[in-house]
Amino acid sequence: MTLLTGAAMALMALATAFTGPQQQREPDKDTKAMIEASYIYNIAKLVEWRDPAMRQGPFVIGVIGSANLYQELANKYANRAIGKQPIEVRKLPEMAEVDRCHILFVPVANKDLLPAILRNPNARSTLIISDCPEALAHGAVINFIAARNTIKYEISLANAEKQRIDVGLTLRQLADRVVE
Amino acid sequence: MMKHLLAIIVCALLHVAPALAQGGALAQANQKYQAGDLKGARTLVDEAIKDPELARMPDVWVLRGFVYKDLYKGAAKPEADILRDEAMASLYTAIVEDKDRKFLASSRPAYWYMAKTMYNDAVNALNAVQPEPAMAYYAKYGEALRRLAPDTATVQADIDFNNALGTVYVKLFNEDRQQYGWYDKAVAVYKRVLAMDSANYGANYNLATLYYNRGVYNIQRITPENDIPSLQQIQEASREFFTLALPYMLKAHQMRPGRAETILGLESIHYSLQDEDKSRHYRRLFEELEHDEMKQRDH
Repeated sequence: MTLLTGAAMALMALATAFTGPQQQREPDKDTKAMIEASYIYNIAKLVEWRDPAMRQGPFVIGVIGSANLYQELANKYANRAIGKQPIEVRKLPEMAEVDRCHILFVPVANKDLLPAILRNPNARSTLIISDCPEALAHGAVINFIAARNTIKYEISLANAEKQRIDVGLTLRQLADRVVE
Repeated sequence: MMKHLLAIIVCALLHVAPALAQGGALAQANQKYQAGDLKGARTLVDEAIKDPELARMPDVWVLRGFVYKDLYKGAAKPEADILRDEAMASLYTAIVEDKDRKFLASSRPAYWYMAKTMYNDAVNALNAVQPEPAMAYYAKYGEALRRLAPDTATVQADIDFNNALGTVYVKLFNEDRQQYGWYDKAVAVYKRVLAMDSANYGANYNLATLYYNRGVYNIQRITPENDIPSLQQIQEASREFFTLALPYMLKAHQMRPGRAETILGLESIHYSLQDEDKSRHYRRLFEELEHDEMKQRDH
C-alpha cells in the first residue's frame, strides 16, 4: 500500500522560495539592483558629456559597493555601447580615490564618500548617481528614490552643470522630481 | 494476502449454498477463483450475471468484485483502470443488494481498498507531474467514497490533494515561465484550498510565493531594449504582484511566527515594494531567529 497520509501530501506542497541564511541577497532576486541597472543604462543614453575627453575610449560605469548592481550591469549591459564607446563596468573599492568614470554609482552605505569623491580631479566630469535621501544635496546628479512602491529618480540640474553634463529633455521629463 | 482473500470469499459463499445450487455457472466460477484461474472465473461470473435471477443475488456480485479485484492487481494500466471500475461497481452492487448484510464484512473492506488505490494513483500521478490524471483519479476516489457513504467528510483530503496539485502546477510553470496557464491554475488551486480553510499555512505561503515570484520574474526579464517608460510599466505590473503576495505571506507568518521562510518572504516582498523600513524590520527578525537557533544548538 503506497497511500500517502494527509500530512505527507501537505509537506509536498511546501515549496521553499525563501531560504536562509543570506548574508547578501541572491542576485536573481535583487529586484532593486535589476531596476537600477536598467535606469543607469538608459541614463547613459540620455545625457551628454561636454568634456571632449569623455567622448573617447570606453564608456566607464563605476560601482562602489553594491555587488548585485555591479553584477547586473556587467552581465546585461557590458556588451553594449553608448554611441561608439563600448561600456566597461568597473567594481571600485569603497574609497574616494576613484577612477575616471562617466557614471559612478555611490550607494547609501557609502554616502559619506560623496564630498571627497567630488573633490577628486578624476570625478570632474562624472555623473554621480546615488540612492540616498540627501544625495542631491551632497552633489549627486541623479538619485534613485522610492515612490509609490517603485523606484523613480530625481535630478539636480545644478549638479549636472557643475559636472559639465547636459541632461536630455526626455530624462528630465520622466524624472519624479527635477531640482533646478 | 491472496490466501486471506480466498478464505473470505469461501466463507462468504458457504452462506449461500442454496443460491450456488441454483446457479451452476456461479459455483463453477467460484471453483475457478479458488483455484487461481482468474480469467476462467471472470468468463463464468460474467456469464452468471446475465441470468436475471442470479443478478439479483449479492453472492454473484461479491464473487465478481473479488475476481475483478484480483485481476486488477495483476494488470497494467490502462486495463487495470477498467478492471478496477468493474470490481468497484460489482462490490457496490453487492453491498446495496446485500439486505441481510451477509457479505458486508468482506465486500465493504474490499470496496474501500479499491477506492484507496484510486487515491494512490492520484498521488503517483502528482509525483510524476501529471496533474490531469491526478485530478481524474482523485475525483473518482471522491465519488467512490460518497457513493457508499454520502456524508463522508473529505475536506482535509481535498485540502491536502489541492495543495499538492498546486505544487505540481508551480513546478510546471517554473519549467516554462511563458506558460501562464500553469500559473493561473496554481493560483486557482491555492485559492480553492483557502476557500476551504483560510488558515491553511501551506496555501497562504505558496500563494504568496507564487505572486512574489511572478513579480520578480517580470523584473528579471528587463533587457537593454527596455526604455525608461517601459521600465516604469514593468515596475507597476510587478508592484501589483508584490501587493497581492503581501497579505498571504503576512497571514502565514502570523500563523507560524517562528518560521524563517515567512520572515524572509516578508523581508523580500517589502524590499521589492521599496519599503526599506519594513524590509529591515524582517531582516532583524530573521537574524534574531538565527541567533536564537544557534544558542539552542550550543546548549
